[in-house]
Amino acid sequence: MVGKSQSLFKEKPIKVLLAKPGIDGHDRGMFVLAKAFRDAGMDVLYAGLLPTPEEVIDTAVNEDVDVIALSLLNGAHLTVFKKIADLLKKRGIEDIALVGGGTIPDADKPKLEKMGITGNYGPGTPLSTIVKHITERATEARKKKLGFR
Amino acid sequence: MDTDHLARMVISGDTRAISRAISIAEDRSMSEECRLLMRALYPKTGNIHVIGITGPPGVGKSTIIGQIALEMDRRKIRTSIIAVDATSPFSGGTLLGNRIRMQESLNRTSIFMRSLASRGFKGGLSSATLSTIKILDAAGYDTAIIETVGAGQTDIDIMKIADTTVVMHAPGLGDIVQSIKAGIMEIGDVFVVNKIDREGSFLAIKDIQDSLAINPSGEYHKKVIGVNSLNGENIPSLVDELMSHRSFISKKRKDSKSRFMLELQIYIEDELRRIIDERSEGNGDLHREMISVARKGIDPFNGAEIILAKLLR
Repeated sequence: MVGKSQSLFKEKPIKVLLAKPGIDGHDRGMFVLAKAFRDAGMDVLYAGLLPTPEEVIDTAVNEDVDVIALSLLNGAHLTVFKKIADLLKKRGIEDIALVGGGTIPDADKPKLEKMGITGNYGPGTPLSTIVKHITERATEARKKKLGFR
Repeated sequence: MDTDHLARMVISGDTRAISRAISIAEDRSMSEECRLLMRALYPKTGNIHVIGITGPPGVGKSTIIGQIALEMDRRKIRTSIIAVDATSPFSGGTLLGNRIRMQESLNRTSIFMRSLASRGFKGGLSSATLSTIKILDAAGYDTAIIETVGAGQTDIDIMKIADTTVVMHAPGLGDIVQSIKAGIMEIGDVFVVNKIDREGSFLAIKDIQDSLAINPSGEYHKKVIGVNSLNGENIPSLVDELMSHRSFISKKRKDSKSRFMLELQIYIEDELRRIIDERSEGNGDLHREMISVARKGIDPFNGAEIILAKLLR
């Protein structure tokens, strides 16, 4: 019940968009995550297969999500994740957090972190670790959203 | 960003502002901001055509909304979509899955779509939905299509908000008249039978036509339209029918006073439900009163009256 326990999310739970941008059809893992996030009390959206980076951002903006959780198993993370990070910056969106995951070599993780894409968990990561990380990043994002209060 | 600035951005049609405004309407901890926002937006509202789509799970509501929205977009009608999904009563989490069925339409156009979570029994959905409609109205959208979870009181409330209510069915889900008889025949303005490529669709259409002929309600001649949402067959005739109902109701829009009263009532009921929820939680005064009633061994009927008296004092 992480999504609800904190007072910041009491009336409006953490909202997460799961997305596999790029040419990658392996989405069984996304369904496992979607269910885990829902069971953690979050509102979960899945962008479907093969969305472009622009479509991912449009969906995130329409739905006003706190976190975009990206996953790729095809090795294109450095290119595609970067494109999404760049697009967010270009549109001046600072109140949506980016996290990553998939088959990401250790050597690439610092590069992704530098783009603001955190987590970057691989196979075998406990769901609780991922939920905890999403909650942390969502907290940052929600505080920015509520910034004018 | 203050609410005045946000309201101006919404009216100018800025997608991010619209989206943020809807978040404020959803988040009950921001009721003060919501009040200011609604006050600023209200003068700009009153033009949107609200289409409600209801029907049992699996008839293809989401898919058909994608098709309708696409056809409307072709006709240069500015369209928005609000889809409601059921919240898990156990974890409080929600899987907002409607979007995925319309993704293709959304990608090709500038249709605005927002998913709302039903939040279980806590209420608040009706008022959040109503506020969302006001925001889209002020932002200049011509149409808002609302999809509901397909059951319960909030659904009926949302359908009351709709100018045009579409009741959907499909062959193979059991006896048509059985499943749409109670109340649904009356709330529907347009009836749709989806999956007309399947066996039994002719009888499904005929059944509904017959039952409409037996119980003619109101002045509008209600139609039954058969469609196939997978290949888009007959979607243009459905949109024609939606438009024809729109022009029918806009002729008698004069009774906007009854509409105002309805909206007022929805907000009052939701706020009351919120107050009751808040005060019967943890260390709320109603919670203490409930415990004391339970201890005294008073029956629930009389106990409720004692507590209500305290609430209304």
